[in-house]
Amino acid sequence: MAQTLRGKLGLTGLKIGCDRGECGACTVLIDDVPQYACSILTQSVRGKNILTIEGLARSDGGLHPLQQGVLEEQGFQCGYCAPGFLMATLGYLKTKPEPTRQELAHGVSGNLCRCQDYDKILTALMRGAEYMKKG
Amino acid sequence: MAIIRDGMPPFDLYQPTSVEDALSLADRLGSDAWMLAGGLDSLERFKDRLKRPKAVIDLGRIDELRGVRQEGVDLVIGSMTTLTEVSLHPEIRARFALLAEAAGQVASPQIRNQGTLGGNISQDTRCWYYRDGWNCYRAGGGTCYAGESPEGQNREHAIFGVEGCAAVSPSDTAPALVALEARLVIKKAGGRREIAAEDFFIGPENDITRLNVLGPGELLTEIRLPATWAGATFYFEKVRDRPVWDFPLVNIAAAMQLSEDRIDRARFVLGAVAALPWRLPRVEAAVAGNLRNAVADSASRLAAEGAVPLAHNGYKVALARNLVKRAILGKKEA
Amino acid sequence: MPQNDTLFTPKLTGCNYTTPDQRAKLTGTARYAEDFRAEGMLICKLLTSPLPHAKVKHLDISAALAMPGVRAILTADELPQPADSASDSGAMIKASPWSERALTMEPHYQGEPIVAVAATDEAAATAALEAIDITFEPLPFVIDPLDSLRPGGPNARTNGNVWLPPGKPGEQPCIGELKWTATDFETAGRERLPMGKTAAEWSYGDVVTGLSQAALVLDETFVTPNVSHQALETRSTLAWWENGKLHLTVGTQGTIQTVPAIAKWLNMSVDDIVLISEYTGGAFGGKITASVAVIIPALLAKKAQAPVMLRVSRADEQSIGRARPSLIGRMQAGFSKEGRLLGLDLFVIMDNGPYEQQGDAATAGRMGSLLYQPKAMRWRGTAVLTNTPTRGPQTAPGGLQVSAMLGPILAKAARRLNLDPLAVCRINAPEGRAPVGPPKADGSLNAATSAFVKEALDRGAETFGWQARRARPALTKGSVRRGIGVATGCFVAGTIGFDGLFVITPEGRLRLHTGIGNLGNESFSDVQRVVADAMDVPWEVCEIAWGNTAKPMPWSCVSGGSQTIHAMSRAALAASLDARQKLKEIAAKTLGGKAEDYNIGDQRVFRNDSSQAGISFAEAAGRAIKLGGVYDGHECPADVNKMTKTSVAALAGQGLVAVARDNFPRDGQTYSHVASFAEVEVDIETGMYRIVDFHAEADAGLMVHPRAFAGQLAGRSMLGIGHATMQKWFYDNQHGAPLSKRFYQTRPPTVLCFPEKFTWGSVGIPDPQTPVGARGIGEPPTGAACAAVLCALTDALGDDKFFRAPVMVDAILAASEPGTRALPGGLSANV
Repeated sequence: MAQTLRGKLGLTGLKIGCDRGECGACTVLIDDVPQYACSILTQSVRGKNILTIEGLARSDGGLHPLQQGVLEEQGFQCGYCAPGFLMATLGYLKTKPEPTRQELAHGVSGNLCRCQDYDKILTALMRGAEYMKKG
Repeated sequence: MAIIRDGMPPFDLYQPTSVEDALSLADRLGSDAWMLAGGLDSLERFKDRLKRPKAVIDLGRIDELRGVRQEGVDLVIGSMTTLTEVSLHPEIRARFALLAEAAGQVASPQIRNQGTLGGNISQDTRCWYYRDGWNCYRAGGGTCYAGESPEGQNREHAIFGVEGCAAVSPSDTAPALVALEARLVIKKAGGRREIAAEDFFIGPENDITRLNVLGPGELLTEIRLPATWAGATFYFEKVRDRPVWDFPLVNIAAAMQLSEDRIDRARFVLGAVAALPWRLPRVEAAVAGNLRNAVADSASRLAAEGAVPLAHNGYKVALARNLVKRAILGKKEA
Repeated sequence: MPQNDTLFTPKLTGCNYTTPDQRAKLTGTARYAEDFRAEGMLICKLLTSPLPHAKVKHLDISAALAMPGVRAILTADELPQPADSASDSGAMIKASPWSERALTMEPHYQGEPIVAVAATDEAAATAALEAIDITFEPLPFVIDPLDSLRPGGPNARTNGNVWLPPGKPGEQPCIGELKWTATDFETAGRERLPMGKTAAEWSYGDVVTGLSQAALVLDETFVTPNVSHQALETRSTLAWWENGKLHLTVGTQGTIQTVPAIAKWLNMSVDDIVLISEYTGGAFGGKITASVAVIIPALLAKKAQAPVMLRVSRADEQSIGRARPSLIGRMQAGFSKEGRLLGLDLFVIMDNGPYEQQGDAATAGRMGSLLYQPKAMRWRGTAVLTNTPTRGPQTAPGGLQVSAMLGPILAKAARRLNLDPLAVCRINAPEGRAPVGPPKADGSLNAATSAFVKEALDRGAETFGWQARRARPALTKGSVRRGIGVATGCFVAGTIGFDGLFVITPEGRLRLHTGIGNLGNESFSDVQRVVADAMDVPWEVCEIAWGNTAKPMPWSCVSGGSQTIHAMSRAALAASLDARQKLKEIAAKTLGGKAEDYNIGDQRVFRNDSSQAGISFAEAAGRAIKLGGVYDGHECPADVNKMTKTSVAALAGQGLVAVARDNFPRDGQTYSHVASFAEVEVDIETGMYRIVDFHAEADAGLMVHPRAFAGQLAGRSMLGIGHATMQKWFYDNQHGAPLSKRFYQTRPPTVLCFPEKFTWGSVGIPDPQTPVGARGIGEPPTGAACAAVLCALTDALGDDKFFRAPVMVDAILAASEPGTRALPGGLSANV
C-alpha cells in the first residue's frame, strides 16, 4: 500500500524508511487508526478511509492545528519522519485527546526519528495537541 | 542463480468473507496457500522472498473472526481481533489482565493496531539465521548455526529444550494464554478441534520446522478463556533491550490464586527461552500451599532447572530465576 | 545619531524563528530524492555479494537482460577509471588503487554491490537480478581486527591487512601487512588489548615519567561498537540526462561540494552536472558529498537512455550506508593524587572495513589530548582492514570513541583517589587557548581558539544538582541501583575560507544563495540570520535559494564535523561587508561624497549626517545594475572559488551582487565542548535501566538559533546514548556474515529511550577568533553523553564491570552477579 500511495497515486508525503514495519515513516490512518502502510496489501483496504499527510491541511491551504503547533515549535530536523509522526499523533489523539507528555510518547513510540531530538518532537506535538483541543 | 532478499513475489490473493469460504479455499489450495492474518510477519517473509506461496488467503474480511464475546463461562476472542483491541477490552482487562498486559507490550502501537492475537501466537521464530535464509534444521537443512556452530551468535536463543534447533518463540501473548489455560479452536474443511493452548505450541523434538500444530488447510478461529483463572493475581513482565519493537529476551506470564498471601495454585510460563512457551511445573508445585514471601527464593531457584545455556545467553538463566521471583512476590521496581 | 558600525551586532541572530523548510516538511510537500518522478523512469536494484570476500568467477547476465521490462544492466567493467584530482592548493591527488568502487568484481564484504539492473518496475528489476547467473571463488576473509593481527591471521585484502603511513613524505598511505607476535597476545592475556607494533604513533612530553610519577596508574581496555548511520532516508538517487547534462536528485550533506565529487567519479566536467537536493532525510556523516553509489543510476540512465531511480532498500543501506568504526582502546593513565592526568598512553586498533582509511583512530588521539589535557601523551594506532561494510565519519568520529574510552577512566580514578568525579573532569578540562596534539614538526602543539569547559562543568553541575545527588545515600534495598555520571566531549567546530553570496534585488529583497546541504540542522538557513543582522534588514525581506545547483551557489562547506555554523556565518558576514561597501560606494556615486560618509540601516544607505539623505536598497540595486562591473556581478573577486565565480557570472545583472571569501583571521583550531550529566536507575534483576535525568551544557560560542542548537544538543546526545546503551553490529565470524541487518536487531533508539528528563544550557561565551562568535555544536554532545551514561552505570554497579559498549541487558545481569566480568566474545565488538 505504501508503494501504491507513493508510486501510483503520487502521495509521496509518506516515506518508506524500512519497508518492514520497523520505523513508522509510512504511517497513515486507516479508518482513523494509525498503521504502517508498508506492511499492508493495497487490496485489503478496499472500502476504507485512508488519510495521508496530504489530507491533513485545511481545504483553504491553511495548516491543520497539529501542523501549526509543530511549526511554531520547529518540531522536526531532517523531516523525513515528520509525516509519519504527525499521522501517528493524530490517530493517537483520536483515542486520547488530552494526553500527558509521557502518554503521548507512548502513543507515538512506533515512529523512529534518527535525528533523535525526541525532546523537541514531543514539545511540538504537545503544542499541536493543545491547538487541536482549542480547535 | 543470484540470491535476492528484497521484493515481494507475485501470488494469487483470495479474500473470503466467511470462515466456511476460507476453509474450502484452503482445502482446495492445500499446501500452496498461506493464511494471512494481520500480515506483519507474513509480508516480511514474502518481501524477503523466503516464503513464496502461490496463493494467499487474506482473513481480513471475515467479520466472524473478530471481536470478543461471552459464551457460557468462556470468554471467546476471535483470532483476528487486534492486539490493541485485546489490550483495551474492558472484559479482558477486568478478568484476564494478564493477556491484556501481554498484548499491550507487543512491538509498537501501529503493529498492535494491525497485528492479531491469532497471528501473534502463530508467528514464526526470529532466529536471525533462519530469518536470513540460512539452510538450518528449521529450514530443512542439517545444522543449527546458532547452537551448533563454534562461533554461532545465540544471545537471543533458547536455554531449554534445544533439540537441534535453538530458536525461540518470540510471542508475548503465547505465555499468557498458556498460563490462563486458554483453549484454541482450529477448523478445517469439514472439521473442528479444540485444544489446550499448551498443546498448540510444539518444540523441535516434535517438529523442527514449525512452532505450532497448524497444518495445511487449518485455521485458528477462536481463543477461548475459561473462567478458571478469571480475576486471579497476575504477573506479566517483558525484558528487552529497547522498549519498543523488541521481541522479548525473556518474558514471564504468571497466574496465581491466593488466599491472602498464601498461594493456592499457580501457573508460571516463560517466553523466549525455548521454541515454545515454557511452563515451570516444578515451580508451580513448589509454591502451592506456601506463603509468597517465604517461598519466593527457593521456588525461583527451580526456575532454571534443566537450563542449558549457550555461549552468549547465560544471562537468560539469571533472568528466568529473577522473573519467577518477581512474579511470586508480585512486584516490579524499574 | 551615531550608528553602530561594528562588524556585526546580533539581533535576529540568537533568536528563535521558523525556518523556511519546516512547513514543507510538515505537509508532505518537501521532496526528498526518492520523491521525484520523471517520465519513463526506470527502477534500479542492486545485486550484492553473499560472501565476505570473493572473486566473481563467472557472470552471465544474458538471461536477465532478456527478461521482460529490463532495459539495462551495469557491471563493474563499465565504470570509468577513478580520476586523479587536484586539492584546493593545486596539489595533485593520485586516484587511490585501493578505493571503493560503485560496483566490483572482487567484493570485500557481504552486501557489496556487484551488478545493477534497470527495469520498468521494481518487480521486473528484482526478477532480473534473480535471473543473473553468478558464481564466486571464495577468498580468505576476516571480521575481527584482532584475528587479522594474529600470527598467520587472515588478511581482508589480497595485498594486506592494515593501512600504513606513506613511505616517503609526499606519498600517499598504502595497504600493507602487519602481524603481531604470539608473545604480544600472551603478554596481554584475554582481557587486555595486546600492544604489538602499530602503523602510526606520536607523542609529546615524557609519558614514561608521567606514568611513573603518578599516584595512581590505571590500565584499561575498552571496546566501542560498530554503529551504522541509519539515516531514515536511504541513499536513493534519481538520475537523468538532458541536453548532455547529468541531472541528479540526491540526499547530501553538501549540495555544491557533491558536484565535483561526482564529476571526479564519473570523470566529467562540473559544468555538466545539475544536482537537486533541497531536503536530505538525515545523514550524520554518512552522506558527505552523497556517496559513490550515486554514479550507478547516472551511468545506467546514460546506457538505458531513460531516467533511472536507484531505490536503495533498507538492507542495501545497511551494507552501503556507512557506519562508525569500532575502536579497541588500551589506555594507561597516570593521575596525581589531585586527579590531574600526568601521563596518557593511548593505544587504539580501528576496525576500518576494507576500503579508505578512516580518521577515527587518529582523531581519537587528537581529541583525547585536547579534552583531558594530559601533561604527557603518547598515541599509537592502526587501521586494520576487515571484510565488513565501508565505514564513514559519523557525528564526532573518533571524538565519541575517545570520550567513551576515557570518560569512565576519569571517574574510576576519582573513586580510587577518593575525589569527586566532577573535580577530576574539571582539573583536566581544557581552558582558553588549550594545547592540542599531535605535535607539529617543531615539536610544539597547536592551540584551540578558546575553551570554556570549566564554566560548562560548573554551570551544568549546578543545574543538574550534582552535589546534592552525590550526597544522597546509595540505594541498596530492592533491585534498583542508582548511579550518576559526568563526562565531557569535544570536537572540531569550524573551518574557514568559504564564500558568501547574495543578491540585493531591484525590489529591495535579499536573495541569499547557499550551497549548504539541508539535512535538518538548519544551518543552511541559520547562517543567513547573520546577513540579515549585518545588513540590518528584517527577516521577511530575505529569501534563501538553496538545494539546486541550477540556482547559482557559492562554494560552501560540507555540513559535517560541525563546521558549518562557524565557516558559513563568517562567509555570510564577509559577503555582507562586501554589500555594505558596495551600497556605500553606490550612494556616494549617486548622491556625492565618499563611501565612508554613508551608513546602512532600515533598508537604506544614507548619509551619516543630520540630513540622513540616502537611497533605498531597491534603488541601490537598480543603480548597481546600471553601474555593472563589481556591483552587479559582472566582475568577481579573484580569491573566491572557481565554482563561486561561475555562480556570480550567472547572477550578473540581477541586482547588487554581494560576494566575498571569508578572509577573516583565525588564530588556532576551532573546537566546541559539552559537559554532560546523567542519572540512571538500573534494575539488577531484569538488567533493564532508565536514564531518569540528563543535562547537557554546551561551550559552543554564541548561539545563532537556540531551537536548532538545543535540537543538536538533544539529538546528538541521544546518538551518544545509543552507543552506550543498545546499538551495535553482531557477526557470525566463522561465515563472515552480518546477522544484525534489521532495525529490531541494530536497535536505533526510540522516543521511549530518550532521558525521562532532559535539560540543556549553553555557556554562550563568543569565540574570540571568529567575528560572529559562533562555533558548531553537532558533534561534541555525542561523546559527552555516551561517557556520562557509561559513568553512571559504573557508579550504580561498581568498577571493572564493563569493557564494552553498548551495555545491554546481558551485560547488566553479568555485572550484577557476584564474581562475573567477562562476557563471551573476547575483545570483539561484533557480539
